[in-house]
Amino acid sequence: MGVRIGIDTGGTFTDLVVMDEASGQVDVVKLPSTPDEPSRAILAALEQAGIDPASATYFVLGTTVAVNALLQRRGARVLYITTDGFEDVPFLQRVDRKFHYDLDWERPLPLVARRDCLGIRERIDYRGETVTALTADGIDDLVGTIRERLTDADIESADIALALNFLFSYVRPDHEARVCEALSEAFPEIPISASHEVAPIWREYERASTTIADAAVKPLVSRFIGSLDQGLRERGFARSWSVMKSNGGQMLSHTAGERPVQTVLSGLSGGIIAGQAFGAEAAQENVITFDMGGTSTDVGVVADGRVGYTTAWEIEFGLPVAAPFIEMTTMGAGGGSIAWVNKGGLLQVGPQSAGAVPGPACYAQGGEEATVTDANVVLGRLNPDNFLGGELPLDADLAFAAIERTARKVGLPSVDAAHAVVEIAVENIAEAMRLLTVQRGLDPRLFSLVAFGGAGPLHAAAIARVIGTRATLIPPHPGLCSAFGTLLADIRVDKTWTHLVRSDAPDLDELDARLRTLVGEAVEDLGREGFSGEPTILRSANMRYLGQNYEEEIPIPDGPLTQDGWQRLIDGFEQHYEAEYGYRIANEVIEVVQLNVSAVGAASKPQLSAIPDQPPAKPRTRRRVYFDPREAIDCPIYEREDLSPADVIDGPAVIEELDSTTVVHPGQTLSIGSRGLARLVWA
Amino acid sequence: MAVDADPARDLVTQTVLYNRLVGVCREMGTTMMRTAYSPIFSESRDFSCVLFDREGRMLAQTEFCPAQVGAIRFVVKWLIAELGEDAVKPGDVIVHNDPYRGGVHMPEHVVIKPVYYDGELFGYVANIAHLVEIGGMAVGGFAATATEVYQEGLRLPPVWLMREGEYNHDVWRMIMSNHRAPRYTWGDLHAMIASLTVAERRCHELLDAFGLETVRQVSAALMDHAERWMRNEIRAIPDGEYEFADHMEDARDPPARDWIRLRLIVNDGEIVADFTESDPQAAHVLNCTYGVTASGVYNAIFHFADNDVPHNDGAYRPITVIARPGSIVNVIHPGASVGGNTETHPRIWGIVMGALAQAVPARVSAATGGTSCNFLFGGTHPDTGHYYVHYHFDGVGWGGRAAADGNSHQVVPNGNCPATPVEIFETRYPFMARAYRLRTDSGGAGAQRGGLGSDRILEVRAPSITVSALFDRMVSRPWGLYGGRTGDTSRLLVRRIGTPTFQTFGEAFGTTSNSRIANIELREGDEVLIGSPGGGGYGAPELREPEQVLRDVRERFVSVEAARAVYRVAIDEIDGRFQIDDAGTQSLRRDLAADSGLEQIAGDSLRPAADAQRPEGGRWERLDGDWWKTDVTNCVFCGQVIPSDIWRAGDGHQFCSQDCDTRYRTYWLPRYGQRADARSQ
Repeated sequence: MGVRIGIDTGGTFTDLVVMDEASGQVDVVKLPSTPDEPSRAILAALEQAGIDPASATYFVLGTTVAVNALLQRRGARVLYITTDGFEDVPFLQRVDRKFHYDLDWERPLPLVARRDCLGIRERIDYRGETVTALTADGIDDLVGTIRERLTDADIESADIALALNFLFSYVRPDHEARVCEALSEAFPEIPISASHEVAPIWREYERASTTIADAAVKPLVSRFIGSLDQGLRERGFARSWSVMKSNGGQMLSHTAGERPVQTVLSGLSGGIIAGQAFGAEAAQENVITFDMGGTSTDVGVVADGRVGYTTAWEIEFGLPVAAPFIEMTTMGAGGGSIAWVNKGGLLQVGPQSAGAVPGPACYAQGGEEATVTDANVVLGRLNPDNFLGGELPLDADLAFAAIERTARKVGLPSVDAAHAVVEIAVENIAEAMRLLTVQRGLDPRLFSLVAFGGAGPLHAAAIARVIGTRATLIPPHPGLCSAFGTLLADIRVDKTWTHLVRSDAPDLDELDARLRTLVGEAVEDLGREGFSGEPTILRSANMRYLGQNYEEEIPIPDGPLTQDGWQRLIDGFEQHYEAEYGYRIANEVIEVVQLNVSAVGAASKPQLSAIPDQPPAKPRTRRRVYFDPREAIDCPIYEREDLSPADVIDGPAVIEELDSTTVVHPGQTLSIGSRGLARLVWA
Repeated sequence: MAVDADPARDLVTQTVLYNRLVGVCREMGTTMMRTAYSPIFSESRDFSCVLFDREGRMLAQTEFCPAQVGAIRFVVKWLIAELGEDAVKPGDVIVHNDPYRGGVHMPEHVVIKPVYYDGELFGYVANIAHLVEIGGMAVGGFAATATEVYQEGLRLPPVWLMREGEYNHDVWRMIMSNHRAPRYTWGDLHAMIASLTVAERRCHELLDAFGLETVRQVSAALMDHAERWMRNEIRAIPDGEYEFADHMEDARDPPARDWIRLRLIVNDGEIVADFTESDPQAAHVLNCTYGVTASGVYNAIFHFADNDVPHNDGAYRPITVIARPGSIVNVIHPGASVGGNTETHPRIWGIVMGALAQAVPARVSAATGGTSCNFLFGGTHPDTGHYYVHYHFDGVGWGGRAAADGNSHQVVPNGNCPATPVEIFETRYPFMARAYRLRTDSGGAGAQRGGLGSDRILEVRAPSITVSALFDRMVSRPWGLYGGRTGDTSRLLVRRIGTPTFQTFGEAFGTTSNSRIANIELREGDEVLIGSPGGGGYGAPELREPEQVLRDVRERFVSVEAARAVYRVAIDEIDGRFQIDDAGTQSLRRDLAADSGLEQIAGDSLRPAADAQRPEGGRWERLDGDWWKTDVTNCVFCGQVIPSDIWRAGDGHQFCSQDCDTRYRTYWLPRYGQRADARSQ
């Protein structure tokens, strides 16, 4: 038995959770992230935890490196290579608008410059037949053009990547593959993403956008993974390690470097999985997970104990990324979110963030702008001397000065401005939660909130009040929840095969053989990921009536796909269709478009150890805290480690711990469960 | 679910319920998208889903298409009035596309289904969608050269597709035998009906959760809330009377024009859009139904209101539209109208924008490209031997605005449909795209540049394809504002196989019009070029920062030549790199007036004279036409259809309400006086 290591590296902090496999004892470390070289903070955290990496049996990383680079448009300069005549597809997009009635909306530009979109003469049609042949001359010309473009110094970027997306590459990839090969020979140092590998789906724009996103983050992600890997090897770690995928499963680290677009929501899915587990711990099947860090807030929904999946995620409206994702919402609201005044004179918060560097003004690292964290310092909710257990002392004077500058712009007293900054951030987050629940027909008042992330517990009570959620749960070590989630993640391998099969002429032998191959590959991958138990195999087919464009996912009956099994699959589709839409189309041909196989290797779920009994806690100190800008309340301040099931704390109160601060508003009560899970309710 | 004692006052309940109502509509939309046969639904989402209460008031909608939503508001209300509530039974589904009964244009079919709860009528769910083929003189239900309704396809008054859950086979057979591609019609009508089934089920769940009475009370409160909010939004526009006119065109020699003239009166949270002085109804397809005209106005006004105002019936109440029956903005039988929705609606939107430019110059935009570039085609697919048909549209450049350039290649304001991807297009139809690009310099020059239009070249890959098209802005360019230049026109060209150049359809086929063509047969290897217009510029181009012009030149949004000639920025190209020539730019810009800033044109604050009275002796009458009657009666004042109950004034004029009678006396007569007689039918 050894130790399991889970890492979550966000834009602001890097969190490490170590669990002893024998005792269930957990150790945590939290350090500021080092965005210029994220592995540095990880290796430092390992060192600080005093772990011998050689003793680790399990190492999983969740990271927001890819998503932050996409959201902040800090990825590589991408040269987009496509079929001649279609260079503008990333700009043409899908022509629809984000809002029906908004003259101010500006269509987001793609993550490429128009002059970096290059065409090559070739054309394949929808049947996979060659209309215009790809020629060696054409490839040579392209190589020449790329060389020329690389000398264009008007586009600033340290990194360069190529994204290839030819029309109908999902039908016949060989043109794209040939060019890909030629370019990797001509430019061995430049990473390439090819659409037939990244996202072999139809719809050229969605494929373009996904491939460009993959290319944009590839240099960053592979450099990060490479340097972390090297650092781990140097410290004696010899096993393979994994990265969280957007679908809540894991993938091997080197695969993540090759296909970084699958890790876009890597850092977020760990949090939702942890939120689900803590909800279960408190017997709550319906929870909203609320993860607020330094840069962003991530909201997920667990309904009836289950998370939802989707293949649609957008960097922003009109910039889609097509890959399997846990369903969630991410928004630019974090402790580092900047308060600013818009043209109409209204105070706004985010989505711009001061990040880890320079960080909020109170970090005293040169940040000038007022942030949500500064506002919380001004309101007395954050203790400047006990932030990160005192390791990162905050300069309250700088926080006051920054808030004061903002306050003057809107003509408010400082405390009122600070209060407004927090309120606006809270309203923005509450609205995102409503979007995820109410608009799906779920009533958020029947849900509990699981609040974590460094800034989650600080704002949870206010958000719970706006939304009217039942209870608010605050896990132990709330700032390290996403890292904890990586320890709970199953190993999950998804395999798909896109191929049209008509119900009037199915080749069942081929289908069955293909299914077996997919299952075999998935189980093999699972083994390579170190899973040796009995995997759960999920098989399904995407089906539709001939002529339709959208498919229904139908489970494939167990056993070999014989005539009988096929008939049951067809019946399953028709029953599902009729139940869902109220009719079936008699005698219409049904098409199978895609086979899906998932192999899930259940992780042994670690259990937190029970916290020891203690006498009722006493406040460590008191300080003046504003809950209402008109008056400060003399408020008791507790240490989280002093609390035990013996305690029931009535608000107002502030609970401080290493990685987070929980605010209990007047009228609220906080209690502690046997494994340290805090529960906040209105009296 | 626990709610407060007075649920109408419980804001959480209001929010939750409203979002749930919208959720019902959204789920209808998802169902529609997932089950439809035509890419026009599954990819382009050219449909809208709406929930009505028992009185036909709109409770919620999914906004896929603004033009449809504005009009469906009338359709259901009028339909219920015409049929009578008792005629509609549980399980019924009614279909309707009659342009004179609140329809949009003939391809848009409305299906509605009543929702009963515990034996009591709660309301209606409705779906309005563009059926891709409806018969008529031209393929694709878009008879661009039609002169009357009978050429435009199969016209359906309200008829039952389903009666108490059973197919009404006679109606289905009648429809199927009049459409060219009945398989699409069959599949898409079923998708529409499926969406109603899902919506009905979700309504029942919602009524289970909240109770019928609560839902009614809260919905009423929500409509009042939306109305108050909308009035407040309108109050941010200075009171006054603002005029603007623009025209529709036919690209023939010489070009023909039909003028639409608007007098927009803003008065303490209310807006009257008066189109009285517009040109008469025309013998072509650009006439609007009342619903289309009203939609164009609502659509534009909503751009000046908060996006969070619930778009239920209340939001529309402060807006009145006056559209003279028999004019281009209110077509009467047997006028054609298929282009009103796609071409005239965006023009009306622009005309409202132009009028409001005088009131709130910093909140408007210059003209959008303003045509849907409708391109219809059909034939027998060489792979399958099946008949196919498709309705294609393209994005246009939008106008520049005070704070930003116009967006490029974006769907016209009357719709919000995503374009069909090239790969789906080619998989289904024997056309192959040869190029698909933004067009450099097509955006109107300005301090804030207009958005760019696009060019798309399609090659015929079957022995023959029959095409029709309806374009606008092919002759007159989208206008700029405050010194901004016009955007580029649209274009529709064809290159016959074996010929070197693209020509107009007039040149190649001898059509009288280059913008309205029907049933032209193209041969394998022919190529069509669809060019969409650009948006107008905002502010003088000489005021644009040279750095911004340089960026545009680098990205080929603007050419070096245009930068010099129009923006007066000298840019050198050295080894493929662009740089500003500062001295050259200074000398180009030296002679310019220092300031061509914006000037606000204040509207005259004309208030309606309030002293006129309704003549005595008015009375309510029930309209009782012959059973074969096909036309309808319109209100003399606002122009709306009167489906059943009519207010006959003391002097014989017919109105939809006493309120219209009063406003006719107080507003209309003092302005237009003697011409009143021309309005009576």
